[in-house]
Order: sequence, then C-alpha cells, then structure tokens
Amino acid sequence: MVVTDREHHSAHDAASVPPDRLARRTAFSGLGSITAAALALPGVIASVASAQVAPLEEGVVALKVHAYEDRQPGLTRIRAISPSLYIGVPVASAWSFEATITHDDVSGATPRWHSAISSASKMGDHRTATTATVTRSFERWSIAAGGAYSSEQDYRSRAGSLELRVASEDNNRTWSFAVAHTDDDIFPTNRAVRRATRRTDEFGVGVTQNWTKSDVVQLSITHAQGRGYYNDPYKILDIRPSERDQSTVSVRWNHSMGASGDALRTSWRFYRDTFGIRAHTLDLAYAKFVNDQWTFTPSVRYHTQSAADFYYDPVYDAQIGEPFPVGNPTFSSPDHRLSAFGALTLGARADWRIDSRWSADFKLEFYEQRGAWRLGGGGSPGLAPLKATIAQIGITRRF
Amino acid sequence: MKPILSVNNYLPNRPVLYGLAAGLMLLLSGCAFNPPAPWERGDLAKSSMRFDNDKLDSLAQKHTYFSKEAASGGSGVGGGGCGCN
Repeated sequence: MVVTDREHHSAHDAASVPPDRLARRTAFSGLGSITAAALALPGVIASVASAQVAPLEEGVVALKVHAYEDRQPGLTRIRAISPSLYIGVPVASAWSFEATITHDDVSGATPRWHSAISSASKMGDHRTATTATVTRSFERWSIAAGGAYSSEQDYRSRAGSLELRVASEDNNRTWSFAVAHTDDDIFPTNRAVRRATRRTDEFGVGVTQNWTKSDVVQLSITHAQGRGYYNDPYKILDIRPSERDQSTVSVRWNHSMGASGDALRTSWRFYRDTFGIRAHTLDLAYAKFVNDQWTFTPSVRYHTQSAADFYYDPVYDAQIGEPFPVGNPTFSSPDHRLSAFGALTLGARADWRIDSRWSADFKLEFYEQRGAWRLGGGGSPGLAPLKATIAQIGITRRF
Repeated sequence: MKPILSVNNYLPNRPVLYGLAAGLMLLLSGCAFNPPAPWERGDLAKSSMRFDNDKLDSLAQKHTYFSKEAASGGSGVGGGGCGCN
C-alpha cells in the first residue's frame, strides 16, 4: 500500500477527502507515489529537478513571518522583517495555480566593508515581491508558466519562467527542463546613475531519481547569463564587469530512516561565475518525528567561497589612510560579499501538526561569516565577522 | 571574459572533485542503485523526504543568503532579482 504524506500523519484523512479530490487522485494514480514522494509546493521559481508532474491534490494557504538581524562586533546592522503569504489551489482536474506575496521591511546600517573604517551607511527600504505560477498536468508530464515581480525604492525586477517536467514510465525518475528571463531596473536614490538595466537569461536541467526505497537523489545544473549594471551604486570605487555568467551544479540526497518517518536531508552545491568566484555550500538536516504532532529538525549549513577577481583587500596607506585598489584596475569592489570567507549556520525547526487541516512551524538560526573559516584557508583579511540571527514563524491551512 | 561553454566551468578544482567523488562513492556503496517498486515507495512519500516542502521557507532562505553571499541559485530559475545584492 502506498502511504502518502497525509496518510502517514493521519489515517482518518482519507475519510475526509472530498469526492473531487479523490477523482484527481484517481486520474493521476498511474504516476505512483513518486509524484508525491518528492512533491514540493512548487512556485514561480522553476524548480529544476522537483519530481512532480501531478497537479496539487488540495488547496493550501500559508502565512509566514521571517525576520533577521545582522551584527558586527559591538554593532547592530541590518534588521529585516518579512511577512509572506502563499496560496496554492487545484483548478479543475489537471490545473494548479500558486502565488506568493512577500513584503520586506529593511532598516539599519549596511555592514562595514572593511573592519577598520566605518563605511556603513544608514538605510531603510521596503520591498514587495509577488510570484504566480500556473501548471497544466498530463499523465506523464507537466508544463508550468510563472511570473515574478519585485519592487523597491531603487530597484524593480520582472521575471518569467517556463518549465517542462517529464516522468519516466516506472515513475522513479523525473526530468525537468526550465528557462527564465529577468529584467531588472536600477535607479539609485543617490543618482549615481539615472536608470540602469540588467537582463538575465537562465537555463536549468535536472533529474530526480528514486535511488532505493529509502533514498531519493536529485541532480540539477543551472546556468545564467546576465548583462547590464552590476555595480553597487552606494559604494565608492565599486566598478564591476557588465557581464556575469553564473553556473551551478547541485546534488540533493534524502535518506529515509524507515517507518518512523525520520529522514536525513543533505545537499551540496557548487557555484562558479565569471567574476572569478567559486563556492561550495553544504546543507545537512535531520527530521525527527517526535510524535504524531511534532517534528523537530536540527540543521547545519556550511558555505565557503573565493573572492571575486576584482575584490580588493584593505591595505592601508600611511598617507592616504583608507584602502584603495592597488594600481589602476579596470574593475574594483570593496563589497565584503565578494570577498573570500566561510560561513556557518546552525539552526532548528519545529513543525506542529495541530490537526488534519492546521499546522504551524517555528525556526531559529544563527549565522556567522568569517574570513578565517574559508575552506582550506586563504580567506580575505581585515573583515569584521558578520553574525545574524534568523527567526521564522508560520501557520498553514489545508482545504 | 572567460569562455562559459566549457565543461570546466561546471567542475570544481581537482582535489575537491576527487574528494567529493570519493565521499559520494562511500555514501552510495551502502545503498546500491535499486529503484523501488510502486508498493515500496511509502517511505519516499513522507513529508520529511520532500525537496523544498515549504515554499515560503525556501524563498525566505534564498533571499536571506542572497543578501549576504556571492553565490546563489542551484535549485531553480526565474525567481527574479532584488536590490539587496
């Protein structure tokens, strides 16, 4: 007997499934449970290798509040609070519609780009981002069209995506092919430029494979080609190339511990771009079912990256004082995000299944970034550690 | 600008690659490729085994790390940009 997620949590759910939902389950039952196995709540971001071709089985509304605070030694930097809303609904028997809206309220001082000088600038901004996706499912494949719009005081982004998913005959493998285009407009409040643009084309291919009855593995490759304005208009001497190509290879592997429902979730991503940055990111999480109502998931994430070719370290001149790029390079940037560093996140999440319809979740994470933590050494010198506390609370209703 | 359509662009440097390959082989040596029959997929169907099973959490996480680190992407395309990086 195939045990779906909801059946796992509540056997009496089956009795409460409305007839139209049962009809949808029946119509796509040939897809097997792999469609449910790796079933995510898909969104506008075309998830390259998410093994899903079936439509949503039920409606979902989720509300979440995400917040974080950045700190450097002795100083509080950026604070952000972001309420967000998700809605996903099945339409007819083969269509799904999903949408999200997020509002970011950001304030505080940006991180100092070099430790010994205070270059931080006070800022405050609001950002509203919306996404929407429409998916049409067929017996063994699905196609999804998505759009995204984001607007803030000095930045506007519009994106569209298209994704095709194809399931194998035995339903143990799903291929995914995705394309997307993004138009960004930048109009800094300091008028460093009047109006700049950036255009990005993205491509992705992925495959999700049921490796064994306890293991599912996903491989994704993405490539993005961006052209346009990449400078940080609020930093002096920040002049970056007008082209940036970014590639990623990522592998995700989930291992089930058996009937308990416990699972080990792992992922590794390699990133490379034409700014000269190479990065590895490793995620580990262990979902522990405490009882029928509570799941506890501790997690750890490690990220390491090299510096951009044009990032310059703080080298202080006895006469000039503040650091400047050595020589007269075409491109330069003091942005700490382009430096070489390592970062560690420790966190835990608790999921509370209130009843068959309602659930809530709570998450707390601690993030720290240091030059000395770069894998293999060679991190950028002179940067103050950056710490952040990330908290999140959410509630979900299924209907 | 460096050529982008090269296999090398998608590969880490050799020592890291060898290390990852060795690690992957060790991990998978205990679970040889054996796709399950339909009646064996119960464990795979559980919520804890899903990739990105919380859409809003995934979006928030990507946005947070995008504002602090240079690397991004890997799990999808077309999410749109923002001025935070």
